[in-house]
Amino acid sequence: MIFSSFKRASLTAVLSASVLIVLAACGSNSSPTAQKTVDPYTGKLVYWFWAESDVPGSTAWMQAAIKRYEALHPAISIQLVPQGSDTLQGAFETTAQSKSGPDIAMQWATLPVLTPVWRGQVASLKGLVSSTEMANWLNTSENVSNGEVWAMPLYLLGQPFVWNKALFQQAGLDPNKGPSTWAEFLADCAKLKAAGITPITMGDKDGFFGSWFQGTVGTQNLNSVKDLQDLYAGTAKFTDPKYSGYLTLLAELKNKGYINSDVSSIDLTQGWQTFAQGKGAMTWTTDGNVASWIKAGMGSKLGVQSVPKVGTGTLSTFYTATQSISAFVTSWSTQKEAAGAFLTWIHQPENLTSWYNATKAFPADKRFDSKLITDPIMKQLYALDTLPNQLWAENYAPPQVDSQGLQVAGQAILSGSSTPTQAAAAVQRVIDQWRTQQPADWKNYKTWAGL
Amino acid sequence: MQKWGAALYRHGFLVFLAIASIYPVWFILQTSLKTNQQYLLDPLGIPLHPIFGNFSTTFSAFPVARWTLNSVIVSVFSVLGATLIALLASYAMVFGKMRGVQVLLNTNIALMVIPPVTLLIPMFILMVDLHLINTLLSVIIFYTGLFVPFSVFFLVNFMRSVPYELIEAAKIDGLSPFAILRRIVVPLSSAALFTLMLVNIIYAWNELLVALVFLQQQNSRTLMAGLALFQGRYSTNQPLVMAGAFVSVLPVLLLYIFGQRFFVKGMMAGIGK
Amino acid sequence: MLLNSKLSSRRRPERWPYLFIVPMLVTLALIFFYPLVTVIRDSFYGGSVGGLSYVGTANYVSLFHDPIFIHAFVNNLKLLLTVPVTTVIALAAALILFENIRGWRIYRVILFLPYIIPATVVGLSFSYLLQGNGILNTMLRKLGLNFAVFDWIGSTSISIYSIGAVIIWAQLGFGVVVLTASLLSLPNEVSEAAVVDGATRWQKHRYVIIPQIRETIQFLMVLEAITALAWVFPYVYTLTKGGPANSSMVMDLYIWQYGFGLGAIGLAAAAAVYLLLLSSILIFIYSRLRRKQTSS
Repeated sequence: MIFSSFKRASLTAVLSASVLIVLAACGSNSSPTAQKTVDPYTGKLVYWFWAESDVPGSTAWMQAAIKRYEALHPAISIQLVPQGSDTLQGAFETTAQSKSGPDIAMQWATLPVLTPVWRGQVASLKGLVSSTEMANWLNTSENVSNGEVWAMPLYLLGQPFVWNKALFQQAGLDPNKGPSTWAEFLADCAKLKAAGITPITMGDKDGFFGSWFQGTVGTQNLNSVKDLQDLYAGTAKFTDPKYSGYLTLLAELKNKGYINSDVSSIDLTQGWQTFAQGKGAMTWTTDGNVASWIKAGMGSKLGVQSVPKVGTGTLSTFYTATQSISAFVTSWSTQKEAAGAFLTWIHQPENLTSWYNATKAFPADKRFDSKLITDPIMKQLYALDTLPNQLWAENYAPPQVDSQGLQVAGQAILSGSSTPTQAAAAVQRVIDQWRTQQPADWKNYKTWAGL
Repeated sequence: MQKWGAALYRHGFLVFLAIASIYPVWFILQTSLKTNQQYLLDPLGIPLHPIFGNFSTTFSAFPVARWTLNSVIVSVFSVLGATLIALLASYAMVFGKMRGVQVLLNTNIALMVIPPVTLLIPMFILMVDLHLINTLLSVIIFYTGLFVPFSVFFLVNFMRSVPYELIEAAKIDGLSPFAILRRIVVPLSSAALFTLMLVNIIYAWNELLVALVFLQQQNSRTLMAGLALFQGRYSTNQPLVMAGAFVSVLPVLLLYIFGQRFFVKGMMAGIGK
Repeated sequence: MLLNSKLSSRRRPERWPYLFIVPMLVTLALIFFYPLVTVIRDSFYGGSVGGLSYVGTANYVSLFHDPIFIHAFVNNLKLLLTVPVTTVIALAAALILFENIRGWRIYRVILFLPYIIPATVVGLSFSYLLQGNGILNTMLRKLGLNFAVFDWIGSTSISIYSIGAVIIWAQLGFGVVVLTASLLSLPNEVSEAAVVDGATRWQKHRYVIIPQIRETIQFLMVLEAITALAWVFPYVYTLTKGGPANSSMVMDLYIWQYGFGLGAIGLAAAAAVYLLLLSSILIFIYSRLRRKQTSS
């Protein structure tokens, strides 16, 4: 059709023109062109930002930070474009198809960042951010491929296991002692149930709990990340009990009535709200929620810890934490140096302090002054988040396997529609499907994992 | 006595439907009048001390006025465009002596069944190539196209009930086809046209998917897309989210409440035979 | 129905109609045909964005064997069941309103509300209504109707039917307004004559009034069927996201998930082609039925 020939005839011109015009549509006066000596403090950047769901107030903070940066460097202007969680990956993929869009984009750590890297959509940070700078960033191992770090962390996100001390006391349990083994956990659940208290409250309508349970409980018989990589891209099979045993545990919790009965029809956020209302005794949550519950006055009732130990692998001693979201420079950006300079500036100590004071989320940087943390529970969480042995297993699952496999398995078990064996077989089928449907991604994964 | 019983059933049936119909508006309104703390304590109860803070936050935190303007521009222009295109086409198909009318009609009906999500990615790439992404024009063009099949179907249906004698008389009087359209058919169809435009405006106003993907910049978003950003994965302030939802419904709600007399007249003329 | 083209015996060729349909043709070409051609072409490619490779019919085969896609297909067919239900309820309501009961105009205004509420708002509020411990179940328990308490959106076996109920709710008002308008435009003699003859209300409805508005009912059913097949995405997405465990997956959500969410545009394109095929078959059946009707 006419547009096909139009495209073919003027593709190069249109591609570069569309980038310029997208940027120009923001009403800027400067016309960015490829320069020989690049001044990283001139030009216009577009930054696709996501963090609000993890860290309420982060968008406002970033907007204010940008204003300060622009005041320092009047020749640069940055446009912040907040992204929705449900369209975070899709919007980026769609814009990547036309090789245009933001200069700085964000994706969740590891696979969601590395997949664009392997597809050539991410610019190398070498030369954009100094290595001494990057040495201060925490958890950079989450975004390493081919020996280099490809994205910048902003904050640390831990996944503490939380219990309600008041409800524990009510059930005759020691309020200061959370369950440290699975046997204790089951015993606590039984006592709570006997006292008429819902032992565990979660929401799984959106499916994330399925991944979380796999990550915190399901990896405890594995020894390292390599086991996960072998599962997704190598020869291991999910149906092997060391990978899928957790489904039986989840089914047990459900069948004994230890989980709130409406778990399948409320989403994650609502499940946490139920906990905050004191309607459930234990839950898995994030640092941010704990912070807001402390703010709402629940501080004295909260106990936090890592998840109960149920496995014997090395990973059973690991804490679940991650940088959650990572920022990177896109390969099509014409303002790469400016982007790198801004990212460097965000991690300067005064910004770390300002970020913490505004959001109470822990900055992912060694230079953060942890003395700023005053609340005892938050101190505990920070200690957990900065443990040397950490893993957020979901990061290592290809997005398709995560959403179609792990999350669906969790929902199938919690809604009672599959047995653990059936659910495990379904996950393996999704893994096989991913390999067939995305052979290029599988190949890249294998190369990256050294398989 | 029997009449009373029957009347009760009838009213009961309608009241039940009415309550079910009002429920969502009532629910989001009531939730938006609570603080987050109140909401956490009692998500389902009626707020005894309503607050309006969520609304002021919605307006001050986000460029709601700008977004509303964008929604208005997009809705009005896309509907006008589609209506005009459909008007010309359906007039020609019903009153013009041309071949292939049934084919055209069937094509339009078939196209009505295509969900926008299937067209999304190719259209996005097209808009990028035409440098139109992030402009309201891209969304206007897409919506216009989406409305045409249904509009043609609707107008053809209506125009077939217009007495041909009127057209014939006008032709004998020497009027051109366009003049006949303008002076005779359009006035006769005004109510049906109004109905059509209202149905399409409702769709355009409420549309989320395309607006979310085509309009990425803060200032170019439509109201629906802008407010959807804050219904995120771990969104912790439901009353605020609900306040935004209520604000997004309000313009169409007001338009409907005050305009429903015209709307009903239009429906009657458009659908009745 | 007047058949204009047959009226005039002198078939003078006119050019203006062809001119008048040009804007429509251009618009349809741009918005539908161009993307559809692209979609069909894409359906023969596998992998995803940035790494597409030609795979022939592999996507079609893969979908044919994918239990989730088949389930989505079946779900869309199940949603077609909403068409007769919506029509019957709307008809019942319209007939009641037609009899001029008190306040009928107010009822009509209220009943149309669901149609103008955006799907996101519908999803939000109905989630709270239909949750395990949501408003509906709480009320049922209070009334002692525990046997009627189900996990409306959290149970894999009934989630799609709950969505069907929401779709019926949303489409009902439109049907009521359309049918009321149609009834009101009927000549008065028709209903009065039936009363004189001593017919019961039901007989009057069934044999006199309903046949008069048959075409409107058909028009309505076509629109509702089209909605059930291809325009349910916003409702499913906000209510259940296709869950739990893909139990309420529908085809346009599947296309969204794979095409937009995972970047597998080839697979999504093949799914879209299947959806279009299904719709074409149904439209074909519909037009056959109409032709039989108009000729009889």
